[in-house]
Amino acid sequence: MKNNDRRKFTMKMQKKLMVLFLVVAALFLFLIFRLYTITRDNGDSYRRQILSQQKYDSTVIPYKRGSILDTNGSVLASSEKVYNIILDSVALAKNAENPETTFQTLRTELGIDVTKARDYFEANKEKSRYYVVAKKFTYDQVQPLMELLDDKESDVTGLWFEDEYQRVYPGGTLACDVIGYTTSDNSGLYGLEQYYNAELSGVPGRTYGYMNEEGSLERTTVPAEDGNSIVTTIDANIQSVVEKYLRKFNEQYANNAHFGNGANNVGCIIMNVHNGEVLAMASYPDYDLNNVRDKSKLIGRQLLTEDGKYAYDEETGTKIYITEENVDSIEGDALYKNFDALWKNYCISDAYEPGSVSKPLTVASAIESGAITGNETYDCGGFLEIGGHKIHCHNRYGDGRLTVTEGVERSCNVAMMHIAQAMGVRNFTKFQHIFNLGLKTNIDLSGEARTNTLIYTASNMNASELATCSFGQGYNCTMIQMISAFSSLINGGYYYEPHMVKKIINSSGATIENIEPRLLKQTISQETSNKIIEMCNQVVTGEYGTGKTARPAGYIIGGKTGTAQTLPRGNGEYVVSFLGYAPYDDPEIAIYVVVDRPNVFAQDDAKYATRIVRSILTEVLPYLGIFQTEELSEKEKKELEELQIELITPQRNEEEEENPENAEGGEEQQPEEPAPSNNEIWKTFKIDPVTGYAIDPNTGDYVDPVTGATIGYKMEENVQTDENGNQTFSNENNIKVAGEGSNNGEDEDAPW
Amino acid sequence: MANRFTILKNSKIRYFDTLLLLILMLIIIFGLVMLYSVSSYDGSVNYGDSAYYLKRQLGATVFGLILMGIVAFLPYHLWEKLRVFVYLFAVLMLLLIIPFGTRVNGAKRWIYIGGVSIQPAEIAKFAIVVLLAQLLVRLGSKINSWKGLLVAVAPSVPLIGMIYIITGNLSSAIIVAAITFVLCFVASSDYKKFLIVILALIAIAALYIFIVVKNNEGGMGFRGERILAWLDPDAYASGKGYQTLQALYAIGSGGFMGKGIGESMQKLGYIPEAQNDMIFAIICEEIGFIGAVCIIVMFLLLIWRFVIIATNAPDLYGALLVVGVMSHIAIQVILNIAVVTNTIPNTGISLPFISYGGSSVVILLIEIGLVLSVQRSIKYRDVV
Repeated sequence: MKNNDRRKFTMKMQKKLMVLFLVVAALFLFLIFRLYTITRDNGDSYRRQILSQQKYDSTVIPYKRGSILDTNGSVLASSEKVYNIILDSVALAKNAENPETTFQTLRTELGIDVTKARDYFEANKEKSRYYVVAKKFTYDQVQPLMELLDDKESDVTGLWFEDEYQRVYPGGTLACDVIGYTTSDNSGLYGLEQYYNAELSGVPGRTYGYMNEEGSLERTTVPAEDGNSIVTTIDANIQSVVEKYLRKFNEQYANNAHFGNGANNVGCIIMNVHNGEVLAMASYPDYDLNNVRDKSKLIGRQLLTEDGKYAYDEETGTKIYITEENVDSIEGDALYKNFDALWKNYCISDAYEPGSVSKPLTVASAIESGAITGNETYDCGGFLEIGGHKIHCHNRYGDGRLTVTEGVERSCNVAMMHIAQAMGVRNFTKFQHIFNLGLKTNIDLSGEARTNTLIYTASNMNASELATCSFGQGYNCTMIQMISAFSSLINGGYYYEPHMVKKIINSSGATIENIEPRLLKQTISQETSNKIIEMCNQVVTGEYGTGKTARPAGYIIGGKTGTAQTLPRGNGEYVVSFLGYAPYDDPEIAIYVVVDRPNVFAQDDAKYATRIVRSILTEVLPYLGIFQTEELSEKEKKELEELQIELITPQRNEEEEENPENAEGGEEQQPEEPAPSNNEIWKTFKIDPVTGYAIDPNTGDYVDPVTGATIGYKMEENVQTDENGNQTFSNENNIKVAGEGSNNGEDEDAPW
Repeated sequence: MANRFTILKNSKIRYFDTLLLLILMLIIIFGLVMLYSVSSYDGSVNYGDSAYYLKRQLGATVFGLILMGIVAFLPYHLWEKLRVFVYLFAVLMLLLIIPFGTRVNGAKRWIYIGGVSIQPAEIAKFAIVVLLAQLLVRLGSKINSWKGLLVAVAPSVPLIGMIYIITGNLSSAIIVAAITFVLCFVASSDYKKFLIVILALIAIAALYIFIVVKNNEGGMGFRGERILAWLDPDAYASGKGYQTLQALYAIGSGGFMGKGIGESMQKLGYIPEAQNDMIFAIICEEIGFIGAVCIIVMFLLLIWRFVIIATNAPDLYGALLVVGVMSHIAIQVILNIAVVTNTIPNTGISLPFISYGGSSVVILLIEIGLVLSVQRSIKYRDVV
């Protein structure tokens, strides 16, 4: 190496390097100080500046929310493009000869009150380019205006249109509880709209502008991605039949025993038993999805307070109903609670004691667990004494010796209690679990109630609770739980997860996902299933069957009635129901109707439910292609003809409704073939001409002339003391209600 | 470790600056993260791939790291021999822009070779470091005279002229000039001359600004307009002041803690070229003042490592190479942040290792390789 190549980096140079470093460090420090001052002095104003230019330079392109279709592709919910009219004051002032022409055109073409817009224009001629004149016009409405704007000759100018999508529900109230609705910012609330919100939502697009290096504005557009549509299992035809009869029921019984709706709630589910698809699900009172905050829909409901409990009159302690007079005074949280009760889906969100419809479950569990064979007989003396309590049958006079089938047919509590005793607490609770009671069904709807704390476990169930649970009192379930469990009883033991949506399609119509039926478990064997079907057929066809009135003309169906007491016991309030299926020999569909506290004097009559089932099935079974198998009586023929006429000429609808009581009443009093025997003393009672019930000469109670059930009966009596009548069921109060749908659970007085 | 001890026995233990590499890696990784955050929107809008810029930058970075490794293992005296070749190569590349250059955003700065775009001005920065270091070693104490200084500056002048005339890229020209200035400053034992030069430059700049402001109306070209926009960005909000103003909005709106990584609003098309020269503004918006200070401190630490290595370099050539690299990085960082904060008029200077730009990152990493090569030849006994 050359000498000068190996020259060292001298001390002097090192010193200069240090100077250099210090200069650099000082400059860095200065820049940090600059950053600090910018942040400190201008932070807020710059933040506002950013937000304001965000609005000015870029516009969001709305996406189209996916549609909700019924099983045949009919639209249940869709989003339609609507147009907002925007006034560009600067452009109007600059381009128009007479700005008034534009305002007049708006007034004449669209009937908009333009005084506000005109005032705004006068005040902001120089600066404003964005003022919303009016919102949500359809294309047809704004089309003439668009032509005028394009027309160079006309003096209409300074306007443009902003797109928006509006959710439209062509059916109005149709399937309202199932569908749910959408808020103005496109997020779904309740039902399918909420559950499938992520699928239905798209991604908004954006047009944004920015200055390039030459300082001119450039625009780029990212198009919006539309949401996916869902095809539900709901059949709009079946759904509307169901809703028609729920509405009819309400018309018939509204303001009957007291002011208010025909019942607190009426719910109906129709399900395909072979795959868990829900064909129809409805409850009354309903609401209009296009106008969800319509207060008039609240009228007739029981008033809820701010904390979601039933309101009672402070002086008399009676229930308060929402009337036309007091509806406007409901405000704030209370209004929300009342609306929430209206909007939620009774069929999945409300838990109640199912009552006797659960008896087939009890029998099936007992047979399946081997506790009984199904050939046993039980002696019903009208009550059974368990743990010191007399637990009554609804027929206090006793049905005598009954087979298991007859026990189901006549809905005998005593027989069920014996069966449950035979099987024991462990088996009973095990089978409740197998039937998914206490568990969510995971149906694809938002708002399903949790009922895990509303049933007993093997560890906290004692003998008397086992006895009452055997006939469906003492635990709670939801309608969807019950019909899903029941479907597995009659389809050979296959428990399907109930579901509402069978297909998801994208905005161009291509299928993204097929949702297949989910078979979760085998609950019982085929043999047991066959036995249960036989028993349930007896309920409708048997001589003493409680569900005769559910049978539509020309068909044989099977099922089970339910008449459940509510809390507190003895309040005279009942949840009556019918859970059935058709055809009777090879069930295809299951139907469940629950009437929660019908607005009648004597509520404990399952006919309020069976008649609805009958009406619905009369129309639905032919629609489903299930043929009539039975001869029609003259009366039935006439009835069907009338129905035909009613369906063809809707005008007659109203005329007939004027005296529906008579038509139904006639059937109710239909004289049964007298078949008196020793133990059927109620058949000898005098019939009260007013109510149609027989009267027990000893007690003065009303008695069902066919089944012998005492109307307004108390199922249970405390043998020891009458004062502590509630103690027999004291355990009830320990069951805490945790269901989302139960807003009155911790209220002791709250009826179920 | 065993290796180390044997080296120690031979008293030939090699010094290795782990801290330098660590800081470098931190800056690079942080840079890539921020680049992705800043450019994903632009990438998805213009190229349909949110990682478009990230992928390209990652490729360049990996390529640069490989070259860095190679250069680090080559003896740095090799560059003493190659210096003229490198210099002529830079000149050639600059000249090639005239026939083959690609015009992007109105400026002809790039040459495409086999699908890769190269910015010859970046090569010129490397060339001047390599060449000038050797020249200063040869000049020795002659540098202290005005004549010697002129000799030292001579090779820079044609490069600066070509960069400015051919590419119209004032900022690269300024950087080459500044590297020359700093190297001469460190090599000479004089302060006075350099102070005079600085004061003279400030005076010229002030005069220029004064003239521009005076002739406000009369078109002073786009540079004049930039000066005016610098003095009052709000008045030129829709023109030359737009980018600066938007950058200031970004910094101000970020506040002390920032909006969070990925949360910047200004990157959504409001700041043109946000992934290039203005990336620091978005960094301020997303990670706030605190985060920005952390970045600056990291750069300062990096520069401090250069000072340590230069001080301990085995010979003057090595030391000056390190000083050249150091000045290159320091100047770019300072100018970039100064532009973003509107401390100086807007001129396009990228932030080393963080801004998007393949040529820049490759050249910078090769320069780091040079520093590592110098640092490798430091013997332990040499360390002060």
